[in-house]
Amino acid sequence: MRTRTSASRLAHYAVAIGGVIVITAAIALITSVASVAGLSALYLLLILWLGARWGRGPAVAGSIAAFLLYDFFFVPPVNTFTVAAPAGLLELIVLLAVALVTSQLASSLRRARATAEALALESRALYELATAALRSPDVTVALSMLCRRALELPSVSRFALAAVDLGRPSALAGGDLSASELQQAEWSHENGRAIGIAVRDGAVTLVRTHPADVAPAYLPLASGVALIGIDADLATQDELRMLAALVGLADLLMDRRRAALESERARGLESSDRLKTAILSSLSHELKSPIASLRTGLTALTAPQAGLKPEQRELLVDLDHQASRLDRMVGDLLALSRLEAGLQLEKEPHSFADLLGSATRRLRAELATNRLSVELPDDLPPVDVDEVQAGRLLANLLENAHEWAPSGGMIEVGATQREGKLEAWVENDGPAIATGDLDRVFDTFWTRRARGSGLGLAICKRVVEAHGGTIRAENRRRGPRFTFTLPLAEIAAPRAGAAT
Amino acid sequence: MSGRVLVVDDEIEMQRALRAGLSYHDFDVHTVGTGEEAIRDAASWRPDVILLDLGLPGMDGFATLKALRPESRAAVIVVSVMPEERDKVRALEAGADDYLVKPFGTEELVARIRAVLRRQAAVTAGEPVIRSGDLEIDIGRRTVTVQGRPVRLTPTEYELLRYLALHAGKPVTHTTLLRQVWGDYAIGDKYNTRYVVAQIRKKLGDDPANPRYIVNEPGVGYRLEG
Repeated sequence: MRTRTSASRLAHYAVAIGGVIVITAAIALITSVASVAGLSALYLLLILWLGARWGRGPAVAGSIAAFLLYDFFFVPPVNTFTVAAPAGLLELIVLLAVALVTSQLASSLRRARATAEALALESRALYELATAALRSPDVTVALSMLCRRALELPSVSRFALAAVDLGRPSALAGGDLSASELQQAEWSHENGRAIGIAVRDGAVTLVRTHPADVAPAYLPLASGVALIGIDADLATQDELRMLAALVGLADLLMDRRRAALESERARGLESSDRLKTAILSSLSHELKSPIASLRTGLTALTAPQAGLKPEQRELLVDLDHQASRLDRMVGDLLALSRLEAGLQLEKEPHSFADLLGSATRRLRAELATNRLSVELPDDLPPVDVDEVQAGRLLANLLENAHEWAPSGGMIEVGATQREGKLEAWVENDGPAIATGDLDRVFDTFWTRRARGSGLGLAICKRVVEAHGGTIRAENRRRGPRFTFTLPLAEIAAPRAGAAT
Repeated sequence: MSGRVLVVDDEIEMQRALRAGLSYHDFDVHTVGTGEEAIRDAASWRPDVILLDLGLPGMDGFATLKALRPESRAAVIVVSVMPEERDKVRALEAGADDYLVKPFGTEELVARIRAVLRRQAAVTAGEPVIRSGDLEIDIGRRTVTVQGRPVRLTPTEYELLRYLALHAGKPVTHTTLLRQVWGDYAIGDKYNTRYVVAQIRKKLGDDPANPRYIVNEPGVGYRLEG
């Protein structure tokens, strides 16, 4: 490649000399017919063309050749290089000076045009890549195109892109990567450090320690790594600039790919959540039907008219309790999964006392063995809650208190307005919760004893949090207390017209 | 015999369990598996109570309920696995007298059946005085007493209590109360009924956190204890 370049350069000089000889002959022909002054300007045309076409070298060579030939053939004494009159000398000097300046101007014009052309080519290539990337639904296709475009640069022997998803690199475009290359890429991405290369101000700088075919350079991108094999000796400034532009485009495209992947992942999670809830819902339905037959059948036989012995009846009552427990667990599981999937709350203003009243009624049978003490201030403002979910919250807390309070023990419920929220608590005089467990009691499936499902308090936490509140457990002097907050309703007082 | 109960449920096990359980409590029981059979037998067998499962194959519970209503004078207790609140409301407004969530125990079912039968008897007899514990509502004289002491109510409060009393033991939806007390043009605001109920409770000396007379039916409405 290098020999061909110098051969063509030699040809440029030959053309320059030849051109000057042809023009000299033309001037000689003209002057033999008529005496015309200033014909030396004809040389300038040639020099201008040489400079614009091949740069300064051939143009300067042409200038010198023109100077010598004009002196030899036309400046008296003719056919010698000597100059007789000062006017002839001046003419020659002017010719040389103008020729040299012309070659300089022409060659800088040529350089500017070449740069403009290179830039146009570069932006065109980038434009094509970018439009292809935007049109193609698969970013990987565009990235492969980009890699191929990079390989068209003469100095680039390798251009590959590795994506780093969730911390693990994998070959994405431009060919496979070896295990050690992947390792290097991972290191480079993790530390944000380039190896053997640097990109600054839109241009690539090479920092070579090994030949390109031994070790490629690594350039970390936002969501991956570019692996580049490049010959530092061969690379021109244009190529390095193009490479920087390609790397920049690759960076953008890979970022787009990651964003697409992430949104896809989020959609997948969301639909799997919905699926889970749908499966649980239908499963609960399927589970509850046989439980319903079980309970109806078992309780039918406990009637005295069924004629069973007392101990047989007792056994059936126990079995019915187990069936009820199973039923509650299925219900809790479904309620929890619905809450986790982001249940739509139907929030309305409710009196806290009303909500508590519904919950205590529901647990009438259980709470009959406890002393229930309720202390609510008269001016307690209404809360803005979903009636069914808030009812579940209170029922679960009361049930929990009932389970832990000793037989005939006290359950205390209270509420107060605090910092624009309602703060309420349910306390029992059962055994204290181990300090290390105070936070864990709300965990799903966490339970202090084998009997519970471990879902009741987890549901409480979800309900409270769905309403934007908080819940915590603490040990008071008498026993464990669960405190939670609920939002207050906007309505300060009921409408006056409502009572009439 | 305590009464005739028509069981509409497509599950054989449930039919068998209900037949056994209800007959031990002296009910005369007849079971069918579809809505069409229910409509046919409601006309020919003339039950006092129909126990209607909402999840029937083919003609579903709601459609069956609608078809039953103009014909049969039987009380309808709707039964369902995992009903949503709006299903309960829909069933009540379509003419159901009560609803029961599966699974349930026989005792609870028997109590509900007896309650609707009692209510039916009271309505048929045109009983002028309705009692809920020590609360007495004299429909003829428009008076309300608690433990014999008279309670002064506003006309709206009285209307609401009267409507609940006429349907004592039955859950009454917010929409029904609004329509009955405020008229057809009432703006559907549950807050109105809640406020009036709170006022009535206060005057009756009822504790909302532990009510004896008017009970909340979460997501549905109110019920006066029968």
